[in-house]
Amino acid sequence: MPRRAPHLEPYEVFRQEKDGDPMRHGGSVMAPDPELALHYARELYGRRQESTRLWIVRRADIGVLDDPDWLQPPLDRSFKKPGGYVMREKLGQARARTGRPKGVPGGGHSPARDEA
Amino acid sequence: MSLDAGLAPGTRSALEALLLAMADDEFVIGYWDSEWTGIAPLLEEDVAMSSIAQDEIGHARAFYGLLGELTDRDPDTTAYDRPPESFRHCRLVDHARTDWAFTIARRYLYETADAVRLAALEDSSFAPLAGLVAKIQREERYHLAHAEGWLRRLAVARPEGRTRLLAALRTLAPDAATVFTRLPDEATLVEAGVMSAGTADQAVVWRAGLEPLFAQLELPLPGAAADPATGRTTHSDGFRWLYGEFTAVRYMDPVAAW
Amino acid sequence: MTDPLALDPVLPPRERTHLPHNDARLSHDERYRAFEAHVQAGGKIEAGDWMPDEYRQSVLRFVEMHANSELMGVLPEREWLLRAPTLRRKLALTAKVQDEVGHAQLLYRVAEDLGKPREAMFDDLIAGRTKFHNVFHYPTYSWGDVGIIAWLVDAAAIVAQQALRDSSYGPYARTMRKICWEESVHIMHGRDVVVTLVNGTPAQFELAQEALVRWWGPLMQMHGPRTPREKDRDLYWRVKAKTSEELRQEFLGIYVDRIRELGLVIPDPDLRFDDADGKWHYTEPDWQELRTVVTNHGPRSQARLDFRRVNLEETAWVRRAILGAPAAAAA
Repeated sequence: MPRRAPHLEPYEVFRQEKDGDPMRHGGSVMAPDPELALHYARELYGRRQESTRLWIVRRADIGVLDDPDWLQPPLDRSFKKPGGYVMREKLGQARARTGRPKGVPGGGHSPARDEA
Repeated sequence: MSLDAGLAPGTRSALEALLLAMADDEFVIGYWDSEWTGIAPLLEEDVAMSSIAQDEIGHARAFYGLLGELTDRDPDTTAYDRPPESFRHCRLVDHARTDWAFTIARRYLYETADAVRLAALEDSSFAPLAGLVAKIQREERYHLAHAEGWLRRLAVARPEGRTRLLAALRTLAPDAATVFTRLPDEATLVEAGVMSAGTADQAVVWRAGLEPLFAQLELPLPGAAADPATGRTTHSDGFRWLYGEFTAVRYMDPVAAW
Repeated sequence: MTDPLALDPVLPPRERTHLPHNDARLSHDERYRAFEAHVQAGGKIEAGDWMPDEYRQSVLRFVEMHANSELMGVLPEREWLLRAPTLRRKLALTAKVQDEVGHAQLLYRVAEDLGKPREAMFDDLIAGRTKFHNVFHYPTYSWGDVGIIAWLVDAAAIVAQQALRDSSYGPYARTMRKICWEESVHIMHGRDVVVTLVNGTPAQFELAQEALVRWWGPLMQMHGPRTPREKDRDLYWRVKAKTSEELRQEFLGIYVDRIRELGLVIPDPDLRFDDADGKWHYTEPDWQELRTVVTNHGPRSQARLDFRRVNLEETAWVRRAILGAPAAAAA
């Protein structure tokens, strides 16, 4: 298989600030190969002991998804989000029927607290 | 053995000589390599080489500090306030920075030698030294990885990289082993358990360690030091120039606070 | 007119996203208007987005000059790298100059991702086709310069840089946040050097005072002449957020008192804060000097560009060696 001659290309650097934090994008370094990319990532994003972990990825190896049809398809998906469940009126009706306004203490509370 | 425990006078003076040699080695190579800050071949590499140079000066500062506790002098005074002839760095690091191939070749030879030297001190009966060495060894792993990576890259970069690397190794060969210049009264250091092996034994280990990689890359192994007796006492015009630089501001007023 | 090769986006452009300016089905004018609205509303632009030529050119020019300035700014300070008078100052100064190189790397990366290769930017800098900030065209003479530059030149720069942290161009804004965080250490180092000098011997005090006298003019010119807000296209596109005068006033507001409290004398007898209009008044900076200097006719402009050219020539073999060489022998 033909090998491409080494050339400078961007490597993206993700860093973890402290233990438990998510990896966040820090920036990129140009390097001719993954070994030097590691050194350079450490220098630009870790020489001050400011990171506890680094991920170094060749930019060309990153898959990017920003197709709006995949990520923001047009039909209703509100059933997948908390905001899709508005119960204020229904709960009002139920409480009116049972004579139990919101917040009255004494028996019969369901374990789950509701937001109405 | 701690700083407070009685050190036999012979051991003490030998220990001071060892610490001065190590401090001066790190100081001088750190200064030369720090010159690359701002002018290295690649922006990213510029930052890397500068970090390594700063580490070396940090190590020098720590050794001067340890020496200073024995001699009751502060690190800056020990480092700067003395004539050039009193420096005890090895001839390997006395050479100027020269070009990138020279810097890399010298870095690799020095880092591998320093690793052997540090290994001979990691169980030192002189506890403060053992403690410092343990910390320094952790930092040196990065240096060695960097130097070896570049040595490999240049060794296979035909024709120009390899040609320059071979020329650098040729120039450095007579001085490569000066890291292991016999120290004054070093036998007392080995007897007292400060150092686990003498410099001659360390040099053997070092050269054996270089062999596999140098064979693989078809690079000439450096031999014994030419003129070993003066390995730490002759200094070049290049070093005298450097001395002039690093004392220029301070000597305006050596007792002032800067 | 944009040179399509120079500004060909390196990242694949988005074709259809929720942002109208990225929608290729719209006309150029519609996209332009959508882009304007997005930026004026505080929206961010990323490297892969569609941009009007004017915006792309403005950002590239702005970032490139900033990157050039970091690269050239290294040169006056590195003259003192070997001369630091204590181990701690040696470490601090080396780390500071290293940071400037790091900032050049960060900024050239932003510009590279807009489509211009690093080598092209270096060529343009050395040939004088692109510029770098005025302060880096001047000589240094003493350790006093080291302190004044690290403190006040960096302070003036950070005032400008803080105002760029919310730039409309996302990669630049994020880079500025990182740079501002790193620069704060430099100012402390510089101030420490200066305070140590003024507390020292009369000769040391004089080093600081003399350097301040030489650097005050360039410092006052650094943020540039007053331009009306309406005419500033970089403000219009929100590449930057403050005018030259706002930055200069901010700098004076923080640093005049800090300079005077050390006993240093600022060489402008007309410098004063006016309570009536709430502004600092000062002797008008020499804008002719600024124009002369930034067109590379400053005292050290050509020498420093030549230095860079020679350095690139001398290190070219290294780049050739590791790029296009066969893969290094495996361990």
